[in-house]
Amino acid sequence: MKHALLTAALFTSLALASASALANATVGQPAPAFSAVDTSGKTVSLADFKGRHVVLEWVNPGCPFVRKHYDSANMQATQKGATDKGVVWLAINTTATDAGDYLKPAAMAEWMSKQRAAASATLMDSDGKVGRAYGARTTPHMYVINAKGTLVYAGAIDSKASANPADIPSSTNHINVALAESLAGKPVSVASTRPYGCSVKYSSM
Amino acid sequence: MRLLNGTSARLSIQLICLLAAAWLVSPPAALAAGVMVTTPQVRAELVAHAPEGVAAGKPLMLGLKIEHQPKWHTYWKNPGDSGLPTTLDWTLPAGFAAGAIEWPTPQRLPLGPLMNYGFEGTLLLPVRLTVPADFAGDALRVSLRAEWLVCKDVCIPESGEFVMDVPARAASALNGALFAAAEAARPREAPDARAEARIENGALALRVAGLPAAWAGRQLAFLPEDGGVIANAATPAVQWQGAQWSARLPLDEQRSASPERMTAVLTTPGEPAGLRVSFAVQGPWPTVAPLPALAAVQPAPASTTPPMGLALALLLALAGGALLNLMPCVFPVLSLKVLGFARHAHDRRAVFAGGLAYTLGVVLSFVALAALMLALRASGEQLGWGFQLQSPAFVAALAALFTLIGLNLAGLFEVGSVLPASWASARARHPLADSALTGVLAVAVASPCTAPFMGASLGLAVTLPTAQALAIFGALGLGMALPYLAASAWPQLARALPRPGPWLATFRSLMAFPMFATVVWLIWVVGQQVGIDGAAALLATLVALAFVAWALGNPSLGLRARTGLGTLALLVLGASLVWALPSLRSDAQAAPTVGSASGSTSSSADARWQPWSAARVAEATAAGRPVFVDFTAAWCVTCQFNKRTVLADARVLADFDARRVLLLRADWTRRDADISAELSRLGRSGVPVYALYAPAGGSTSGAASAAPRILAEILGVDEVRAALAALP
Repeated sequence: MKHALLTAALFTSLALASASALANATVGQPAPAFSAVDTSGKTVSLADFKGRHVVLEWVNPGCPFVRKHYDSANMQATQKGATDKGVVWLAINTTATDAGDYLKPAAMAEWMSKQRAAASATLMDSDGKVGRAYGARTTPHMYVINAKGTLVYAGAIDSKASANPADIPSSTNHINVALAESLAGKPVSVASTRPYGCSVKYSSM
Repeated sequence: MRLLNGTSARLSIQLICLLAAAWLVSPPAALAAGVMVTTPQVRAELVAHAPEGVAAGKPLMLGLKIEHQPKWHTYWKNPGDSGLPTTLDWTLPAGFAAGAIEWPTPQRLPLGPLMNYGFEGTLLLPVRLTVPADFAGDALRVSLRAEWLVCKDVCIPESGEFVMDVPARAASALNGALFAAAEAARPREAPDARAEARIENGALALRVAGLPAAWAGRQLAFLPEDGGVIANAATPAVQWQGAQWSARLPLDEQRSASPERMTAVLTTPGEPAGLRVSFAVQGPWPTVAPLPALAAVQPAPASTTPPMGLALALLLALAGGALLNLMPCVFPVLSLKVLGFARHAHDRRAVFAGGLAYTLGVVLSFVALAALMLALRASGEQLGWGFQLQSPAFVAALAALFTLIGLNLAGLFEVGSVLPASWASARARHPLADSALTGVLAVAVASPCTAPFMGASLGLAVTLPTAQALAIFGALGLGMALPYLAASAWPQLARALPRPGPWLATFRSLMAFPMFATVVWLIWVVGQQVGIDGAAALLATLVALAFVAWALGNPSLGLRARTGLGTLALLVLGASLVWALPSLRSDAQAAPTVGSASGSTSSSADARWQPWSAARVAEATAAGRPVFVDFTAAWCVTCQFNKRTVLADARVLADFDARRVLLLRADWTRRDADISAELSRLGRSGVPVYALYAPAGGSTSGAASAAPRILAEILGVDEVRAALAALP
């Protein structure tokens, strides 16, 4: 009986644990729907962009890996290349309000414009809902959703995991490749890579 | 010699003091690269251990010692959900080779819903050097460029350049204790440990046997050396069985690697060194590309009945087994047993012994069937409970058996006349074996009728270790035999039965009719599986079989008649088998599914149902339509009952229409790997299963659409309507 209770307890705790864990987003499945407020106070939903490709970029200006891609203008170039093709680019900041590197929406908007970012909108997700739905672990962590609403890529922005901007020219930009393939109607060849960067600072629930 | 005059002396002294002070306060880093690099977060130092100097064949180790400020950490070779491992880039003279970092046992570093693996406090990353045979210098010059990511809540990538000269003919053993401690903290290879792993339902099912006895029963943590495979932050379901540890490690939903072999370190609190285990991973990795099933890879969807403890499962299995006696599958066999009681009513011990033998037959058959199913599942077959009835040949064989039993009861032939005399007397001499075999027969035909309570029990049973799963099936068998065991044990009941007399022959003939009714049902199942032609072929075979039984077994025929008619009958049977067998093969052309087969019943309800596929469920829920899936099979009586009562009820159908519910039927009459996989994903292993999927979209949490609501196995009109009303 004790063993049975233990098993039951384990299963229950597993069920509970999984409730607070991350992610229901799986590559090849419909991307989870979400809604968040951007830095100018407008509500933006994934459903607003039905029929268009969407790229999600998890960003945190306090992270050296994010700065690696912004200081070298690599991220901005990737953003512009995508938005020029009609792709929607959403930059999402899932940093809890009590984290050391939290930026208020106005400060976040100012940083993005100083960096000359070409994102369509910058969303503030300080309660972590969107991050948890997608299982975002690092900054940067990238997702590509195709026009049918299916998640076709999840993972790192490029192939060299480092904080050194000098590694960028010699690494493969996974987003450029995934978008080129998906916009041409082809299946994405590299659909899932291991993301690298700083941890996303989730709020403790 | 003139002394310096006072002023210039003062100035000189001041100058010398100034220079000295400047030299004293200048930070060490301003000097040329040395053995130490200090940052606000760490102090990193290049250290060496050469107790016998530097010479070929002598031990030589180098290492990077990192002392972290409190709460700051660096990462392991697999950093986990984020972070980067420390890298060491050596520059050595020609002929020297540096080995890989001999990482100490790391710690788990949780951060909210994420998990990393790394080190805090004082860390030494040792590296073994090989000295070339021709080394003859005075000292070994070592240069190192190290890069590390040090994090607390923010992350700072840092690096250091180090240079050191290790003397060749003097001992460098000041750091001996440090290197010894690092060696002691290294994960040990466990020589007796045998580990195997399998992919099962979106998780890595790992079993490690042969762990050290001191570790048995302790809480273990699993730290994989290969990243991007398992969900690092998920809590695995673990279990100890003696010295064997099993764990179900959920896979990362955004998995980026599918390795054939994995290595991991098992740690336990209180042991400085972990155990390193290596294992092959069996079983196909779920594709990262479009999967047939929706939703979370977590073991049990939140809305289904929560998995229960073993004792509760056994209890429910017992109750379910008892209920099986009421199922029309079992009822005809029930009649055989009742006849047995009537025959032996005055011999109490024989009756009780018969009851025990029957119980044994039932329990052992259930366990054997379960063992067969588990063994086949282990070898990769997509099976569920009731799998034996998915084979038309098996169903046909059952129909033949029941026809013979019915004809025997009706008096067409006597078994004693058909079988050789030795067999007949063997049956009489061994009534216990007879009872046991009756039990086996009862199980063979009862198993697919999943009664209420059985569904969840079975779903749990197939996920448990073999011994527990078999115990549950044994409990099911015990429940089924319990009424008879009880009846055979209490003489009151036996005495209550009337003594044998002419009524017995009438009763016996009466019992033939439930048998024939079961045959009709089995022929219908075969018809569903292989079409009307196959069913007709089976009917012809049954007629030929009846002819054989009459010709050989009718006691009123003389020997010559019996021989002549018997031969003719056997020829006819042979001919019919030649016709029937090809159409009963499992891969014969199956009848068109639900749509047209039930079109013949011209029920308006059936036209609403479409064939199931996981993609259709996903499409419909994404488009905002709820989906109701009926997992059914022709040989499942409960399913047919529900289909013709609740699912055909006008009020329920009206509710379905009002909410634009997409009605899908998953027909499991024949083997179907996709349906089997979906059933096991829902935590069930047999039919019926009724799943109601709410539409996706609108809500911010994508999880709402993922887990369906599972309804009871015997549906009620109110229950279905309430479930529909609860949809968003």
